[in-house]
Order: sequence, then structure tokens, then C-alpha cells
Amino acid sequence: MSNRNVASGLKNLDWITLSLYLSLVAIGWLMIYAVSYEEGQGFTEIVFSLDNIVGKQTMFIGVSLTMLLLLLFIDWNFWRTFAYLIYAVTIIMLFLVLIIGKEINNATSWFAIAGFTLQPSEFAKLGTCLAMSAYLSTYSTQISNLKSQVTAIGLFLLPIILILMQPDAGSALVFTSFLIVLFREGFNANVYILGISVTVVSVLGLVFNPVYILFGLALLAILAMVNFQKRKKLYWLLGFLTYVVLGISAMTQGLEIPVLAITGVVLVGMTYLQYQGRRRDIIKPMYFLLVVAGFFAVASNYTFNKLPRHQQDRLNVWLQPSKADPRGALYNVIQSKNTIGSGGLQGKGFLEGTMTKLNYVPEQSTDFIFCTVGEEQGFVGTVGIVGLFLLFLLRITVIAERQRADFSRYYAYSFAGILFVHFFVNIGMTMGLVPVIGIPLPFISYGGSSILAFTMMTGILLSLDSNRLTA
Amino acid sequence: MATKDMYKSRSRIIQGVFIMAAVLLVLSALNIQVIDPEYRERAQATTVNKYTLYPSRGLIYDRNGKLLVINNAIYDLKVVYKQLDPGMDTMHLCQILNIDRKTFEKNIKPNFRSVRYSQSVPFVFMSKISARTCAALQEVLYKFPGFSLQLRNVRGYPHQNAAHVLGYLSEVNSEQIKASDGKYQGGDYIGSTGLEAYYEEELRGRKGTKFILKDNLGRSVGPFKGGAQDSAAVSGLDLISSLDIDLQAYGESLLKNKKGSIVAIEPKTGEVLAMVSAPAYDPNLLTINRDRGKAYSYLLQDSLKPFLDRSIMAEYPPGSIFKTLVALAGMEEGTMTANTGHACSGGYLYNGTVRGCHNHAAPYNVEIALEHSCNTYFFQEFRKLVDQNGFYNPEPGLDAFVDYCYQFGLGQPLGIDLPNESDGNVPTTDYYDRLYPKDKGSWKSPTIMSVGIGQGEIQMTTLQMANLSAIIANRGYYYVPHLVRGFRPASVQIAPRFREKKQVPVSPSYYPAIVDGMRRVVRTGTAALVNIPDIEICGKTGTSQNPHGKDHSVFFAFAPKDNPKIAIAVYVEHGIWGASYAAPIASLMIEKYLKGDIAEDRIAMENEMRDADLIADNP
Repeated sequence: MSNRNVASGLKNLDWITLSLYLSLVAIGWLMIYAVSYEEGQGFTEIVFSLDNIVGKQTMFIGVSLTMLLLLLFIDWNFWRTFAYLIYAVTIIMLFLVLIIGKEINNATSWFAIAGFTLQPSEFAKLGTCLAMSAYLSTYSTQISNLKSQVTAIGLFLLPIILILMQPDAGSALVFTSFLIVLFREGFNANVYILGISVTVVSVLGLVFNPVYILFGLALLAILAMVNFQKRKKLYWLLGFLTYVVLGISAMTQGLEIPVLAITGVVLVGMTYLQYQGRRRDIIKPMYFLLVVAGFFAVASNYTFNKLPRHQQDRLNVWLQPSKADPRGALYNVIQSKNTIGSGGLQGKGFLEGTMTKLNYVPEQSTDFIFCTVGEEQGFVGTVGIVGLFLLFLLRITVIAERQRADFSRYYAYSFAGILFVHFFVNIGMTMGLVPVIGIPLPFISYGGSSILAFTMMTGILLSLDSNRLTA
Repeated sequence: MATKDMYKSRSRIIQGVFIMAAVLLVLSALNIQVIDPEYRERAQATTVNKYTLYPSRGLIYDRNGKLLVINNAIYDLKVVYKQLDPGMDTMHLCQILNIDRKTFEKNIKPNFRSVRYSQSVPFVFMSKISARTCAALQEVLYKFPGFSLQLRNVRGYPHQNAAHVLGYLSEVNSEQIKASDGKYQGGDYIGSTGLEAYYEEELRGRKGTKFILKDNLGRSVGPFKGGAQDSAAVSGLDLISSLDIDLQAYGESLLKNKKGSIVAIEPKTGEVLAMVSAPAYDPNLLTINRDRGKAYSYLLQDSLKPFLDRSIMAEYPPGSIFKTLVALAGMEEGTMTANTGHACSGGYLYNGTVRGCHNHAAPYNVEIALEHSCNTYFFQEFRKLVDQNGFYNPEPGLDAFVDYCYQFGLGQPLGIDLPNESDGNVPTTDYYDRLYPKDKGSWKSPTIMSVGIGQGEIQMTTLQMANLSAIIANRGYYYVPHLVRGFRPASVQIAPRFREKKQVPVSPSYYPAIVDGMRRVVRTGTAALVNIPDIEICGKTGTSQNPHGKDHSVFFAFAPKDNPKIAIAVYVEHGIWGASYAAPIASLMIEKYLKGDIAEDRIAMENEMRDADLIADNP
């Protein structure tokens, strides 16, 4: 049986995914070489020495490729059968790391073994992918069922909690990506809409005075109801616009609270009119949204002001760079953006990145490796990398959709979710698009645990996919 | 095995989210890398330090190749605010620089809102740091990221002389920067007076630029783009001055404790050999260092005005030396000859008043009149000159005389290569019309005849007096006096106007009488005291009347009589008679220049001159 599987595995191997994987790994190696390259050093001296990160990464890649090959020869049923066991092992590792782990940069996230470090949270992603797929593909699991929902969420909430205790907020955040597979499999879409709305309103609440947000929300509600006025609609709209203009100008004159109060009265009046009309049904959900959004806007603003200074700084760096101290919290993002910007359209050329070479960028071989791409390869290189990742992600969804086995599809989407969050958050962070969250860029960043874990996840995907016809 | 897939369409939404996210990243990169140049510029500003390479300013030599002005190293400490380490040991730095914390705080945070300063561009934290402090600082500079030292050259003077001629440097002011079309930047030095100012263009050289890559701690790591955008500094031209520094120093020693000036010219070339103004100061006082401000204001407040260059900026009545010019003009105009004689009864009586003369032999020709400096003689000759068209028509005569004055270089700056040369004063008909405005013609030759003996309205600079002497020495021509002899490299020529022979419109045949008269002055006349047996000095004493105190002592001379090597004018304020100070000093200068040493029997005179203190006597 094993022989037949292997034969069919190689025959049906998805060469596109494998090529994308190998390209990204190769590019990653070149970027790490560029970061640590110093003039006058011999090539072999750099590549075959375990004293520097290029040599180490070369070894990690070697181990990973071996592992990939190994995975292709493992019976695909192995993963489903041992999914929970693997999950349990990774969870135990997360427990253990809290006790006997090595503390680096104030986080106890690593096991130190024979001069190398192992980051169990990277492997917990793999374990959780398998466990989630296994759970969702169980006959008794019904995604519309509350108990199933709670269990599914619990599966990724457990590693989140354990990783937050290290503490490593970035890695913990990655596990929320399982919401993607849950969405694909039928989790209530309204929950996502509500979640996204709440997130947006909360972020706005950080930046703007909540009074303005409440004013804006009330205006949206009024506009919705104005829309239902059938007669003389043009006059209603003109009146609404006049009110908006007057309201905003009054607010800029310091009359925020009175304007908000009057708007409240107008809202009640409009609600009364609406109540007289035909579509009473919209009032309830509208007010529900209004209250929830208003609550989060006020709450996020209030919470932000209660946050300790350094956490406020982190958010300021992202949302309001002008308020952050350029020499403090903002420094990394400024240098990162300058470095990427200095690449221009074409980039400075391989090994010509002065800013990365001169250590302007923090963590440049790991979390900020994308700066090297931006500086040396320019916008062309940036588009190239983003394009490769996008192709990879889309390819995974295509693979997912062609699986006969639900387990395989769930697994593919879980993996896609993890990869997506890493990809978007990491690159977005280097360009100031998202807050600085310390997670590596898969396949590219330096680090053994990361490349090994992502290789294994890729390998399992390839293995599952190559056996898709066997199911 | 597969269950019914109700939500297959959601895969499209997920793909859509992936694509949107990728587009968002690409757009963001497009903005940062392609559209908005701000990031690129900031990257360049933070990674590349622009250094100005200052050219070394040209040196100044004397005519014998002795160094007069050299360059000394001094340092500016510059800082890039953004590269500072907030945790640095400020006290340590203050200690090395010998400043207090307050100064530190003030210097480290200039007004960043001003366009002159930027937090990411180096600005001068402290300037004029001595080489010694710099050495101490260099050792620990690595502890202070963001700080860098910049070498500047300031002037040094191996001799303590010729301060007025050499001039000094100052920092450029904002107007100079604006007018310079980018040549100067704040903190640059510019020649402020003297040769330093006049030959600023030649001495300055051209600045260079160097772009240096630096790492995140502000340490230099190498040239930017392999130095492709760098440009080297070009040194300024060395200036070879016509001064003889030994003669200059000697002159300054003779004028010690006196107010006055000496100008010595080589008649054949117009080159200025010495140009002394007393009181002088040591030019080293005004070299750029941290004590300079104090020295400057001290000198500025000195009531003796040491900054005033009395050789070209002060204007005096020339006194009797002017009689030579009156005689030359009279002979050329034909109102007199070399043999014209007058009677002198110890005064000149006109209209009931007597203008005094001295007791002397009868001036039966111009030589004897000069020998004894007969006032009566020159009153009459000057009047004859003015009245050549009739007593009631003095204007044409005066105009003719004024024209001679102009041709002899009076009444306007001679054009020496120094800033701020005065023009002196030649009283014209217009001048007298304004002075006696009752009605036209209210002045006549007797009104203005004191000009004939060099008193009254006629005023000259010492340089003009020396030049007059040079004209007589040359028997009728001169070169515009100048202090530049050449440049190094020699391919750069001095201004052509200094090589242009200026002929004076008096026939050479009239000069021998004047020269002989001047020779008589020194041999047997008013300056017989300073006669040197083996040098044929021709000279003329003068006493410049001073309504505010003791008269001024004047003497001008050239030597030797034939083939003159030096023409000189000496002016000693409050020295009374020409023979009392100016003549001995001039003769010593001539002897020093021609022979190198002072004869044994004249040492006493030398000492007397050196030791005389006319400032204490005439405060």
C-alpha cells in the first residue's frame, strides 16, 4: 500500500506549489545572504560556516528539504490519524517552554538545544491545523451547532492563551487565522461582519474623539432613514447635507456636545417618522448596530487612554505617527519605511543595500527581512514577492477546493489562513500599514523553527493533495 | 466521504480577501518606493553625511620669501541631533570642552524651526576648538554618536608685524552669504580687512564636498557611491607681497609709542616696501580662536584707534613737502623757472599781516628755497600760479594747479590694493566757492595761498606723500603703489593696472632743480642732521600745522639720488618739526633698507627715535 501511495504521490504532486515554495526559500536565502554579506568575505566562508546566519540558514534549509522529502513518503492517512496526538504534543511543548524555556528579549518562547533554539509556537501552528481539520471533519461536528463552534474556537484559543503567557502577542495573533477556515465552512457570516465593524469602529475610536464617531454613526442612521422617504426625496437629501455641513462647522467651533445632543433629537424624530412608515423592521437592527458600534468607539478610546505609555506608543506609531516619538517607538517603522523607500522602482541591486548593511533596520534578518527586498530589489522586487505569496495563497485555495476529503480541504484552508496572516502582517508592518507585530515572513525570514514548521505544513499539503484521488 | 458543501462560494470571498490584501501591500509599496520621494530623501539624509572640504587658504609671503601668514588647524565640533545617544555622558563631554551644562543644552538644541537647522543634518555645536582640546576629544568621540570634528584653517602669523596690511579674517555675515551666490555658508571665514579682504578671491580657493556613508550609530563607514559625487577642495593662491618684513618691523619699532605712519615705495615698480601705521597691534591677537572676541573689543575701544590704518586712511596737511609740487607746477606752467628768486625778510607781508618764515639765506633760486623751506618764496610762487590769468581771475590758475595735483595722484585714492583708502583733499575752485559763498570771486590767491606751503585745505595720505616722492625720484612717472608682487602658482598675474606706467605732465627737465633742492635739504638744509655720508638722500621736511595740539612732523625722501631704490614718507603726529622725528626715522629706514645695518654713529639717533614717547606727552 505504501508503495502505491508513494508512486501516486509523486505522480500527482502539485509542481506549482512546490515551485512557489522553492522560489520563496531560495529568495529568502539570498536575502539573508545580502543582509549578512560583508565585503571581502569569501562565498564558501560565509555559506559553510555555522558562525553566521547564512551558514545556519543553509543548514536549516537543508534540514527542511530533507523533511519535505520525508513527508512526501509518509502515508497521508498518518496526519488524520495522529492529528490530535500531534496537537497534544505541540500543546505540551507550549506548556513546557513556559517552565524550562529560554528567555530571549523578555519572552520565554524558546527551547535551547545544543546551541540551537526551537520555537514551539511555530510547530503549534502545524498541530492546530491538523487538529482543527480533524475536528471539523468528524461526523459529529456541525458548524452551526454552538457546541461545535465553542470546541473549534477552543482548539486555537488554547495555544493563543499559552503563547500569550510567554508572552508573544505576535505569534498568538496568528492563531486567529483559523477564523478563515471556519468562515469557509459556514460559520455565521454576520459574526464576521459584526467583528469587522467593531474592529473598524474601535480603531477609529483610537484616532478620533468618540464624539465625532457617535456623530458620524447617528448621521449614518439618519441617512438610512432619509433614504426611505419617498416624497420630495431631493429636499430631504438637501436638508440632510445642510445639516451635516452646519453640524460639522459648529463642531469645529467647539460646540461638539450641543451638536451631538441635537443630532440625537433629530435621530429620535426620524425614528418616529420611520416608525409611522412601512419599514419598521429596520429600526431594531439599526439601533443594535448603533449601540454596539458606539459602545466600542467609546470603550476603545477610554481603554487606550488607560493603557501604559509604551503600549499607547505602539498604537500611535501605527495610527498617528505624528504623535509618536521618532527616536523611540517610531524609530523602527521610520527606518523600515525609509529603507524600503530608498529602493525606488528598480532597487539598489543585490548586495548594494546600504541601509540594511549599515544596520539601520532592526531585526533585519528576521521580522524586517522584507526591508532588504524593498531596498535591493525596489518596487519590482516588492511586487514580485507579494505576487509569489498571493499565487501561493490562491494556489492553496485551488488545491483546497479540489480535495475530495474534507480533512484535506480544512487543512488547506487552515494553512492558507496561517500563511496569509504571516504574509500580510509581516509585510504590512514593514511599511507601517499594520502595527509592529513581531512575526517572521514565512520561507524568507531567518530562523530554523519558522522555516521547518512552514516546510512541514507545505509538505503535508502536498502529500494530502497528491493523494486527493485516493480518498 | 465528503459532506455536502453548502459554502463553496465562500472560497471566492476568501480569495478576494487575499487579493485585496496583496493589492493593498502593493499600493502601499508603490507610494513608499515610487510616488513619494520623501522616504528616499530621508534615507539618503540619514545614511549619508555631507562634508564640506575646506580649501587651505593661500599663504602670504614677503618680498624675500619670508612667511607672513600661515594656516593653523582649529576644529568645529558638529552634531547630528537625530543620531545623538540620549544616554550619553554629557558631563564628560562638557568637561573636555570646558563648558557648563547650560551651554551644552543651548548648543545642542538650536531653533530647529529655522531653515538653518535640521535634526538630521550636521550643524556646528561648538566652533573654534583648539588642536589640543580636539586631541582629547578625538579619543572619546566614539562614545558620543552624532558628533563629528571638522578641521578648519585659521591664520597664524610668525611675525608680529604688518597687522594693518595683512588684515584679518571674520565669519561671513548674512548679507555676504546672500550676495555670494552659494560660495559662503554660515560659519565660513572671509577676509575682513587688509590684503586678506582685497585678495579674498585669490586667497580663498574653492571648497570641495565629500559624501560619507554612515551606519546607524553615525560612524563613517566609507565613501558614498565610491566617491563618484565627491569633489576635491582647491587651495587658494599664495600671495607674494612686496613688503620687506624686516624693514616693516624696523619701521614699527621706530614708531613705537607714537601715532603716525611710514610708507616706503620702490620707485621703479611702485611696490610698497613697508607700510607702517602706529599704534599697531599683534595680528596674532585677531586670529580666530575663542579669545578673539575679547581682544577685538579691547582694540576697538582703545582711544588711540589701533585699527585705523594711518598710512592710507588718515588725511593730513602735507606741510612743506608740498612745496616741491608747487615748484614743479610753476615751472611747467611757466610762472617760474629754476632760477626764480625772491627776497625773504623772515616773513611774508600781505595786506597788513605777516606770514612767518624762518631765518635763512636768501632764496635766490628754487633749490635754496627748498633747502631752507622758505615760506615767502612759495607763497609768492603759488600766488603767481593762481594769478597767471590776473588777480581777479584766480579760477583758471587754480584749476590748472588742481589738475597737476590730480596728475600727481592727489585728491583721490591712488588705488593701492587695500580696502578703505582715503582720497585726501585737493581744494578746487568749487571747493572755495562753497567755502566762501558770499558771492562768486570772493576768494583770491592771497585767501588760499597757505596751500602753497602745504597747509590749510590741502590734505594727503602718507601713501600719497610717498608716491609724490617716488614721482620726483623717477623724474616724472610712477606706478600705482601696490602690495602684491605675484602669486604662486606664478601663472596668475598681478592686475595689469599695477604694471602701467603713469607719466606726470611735467617736463623731466624741471626735476633736477627739485632733486638738487631736496638733496640740499638733507646735506645742508632743514634736515642736515640726518645726512648720511655715503647715501645721497634727497628729502624735504614738513611741519603740518595742527590746530588741536602740537604740530605734526613730516618728512619725505628718496635715495640714492641717482637710480633711487626707495622713496619714503614719514608722518609723526605731534612730532612738531619735520627734522625732529620724521626725518631721522626716514633716514634710518633708508639706511636700513639700503645697507641692512645702521652705522655706529647713528645708533644714538636710532635709540632716541625708538625710545621717544609722543603718546604719553600728547594724550
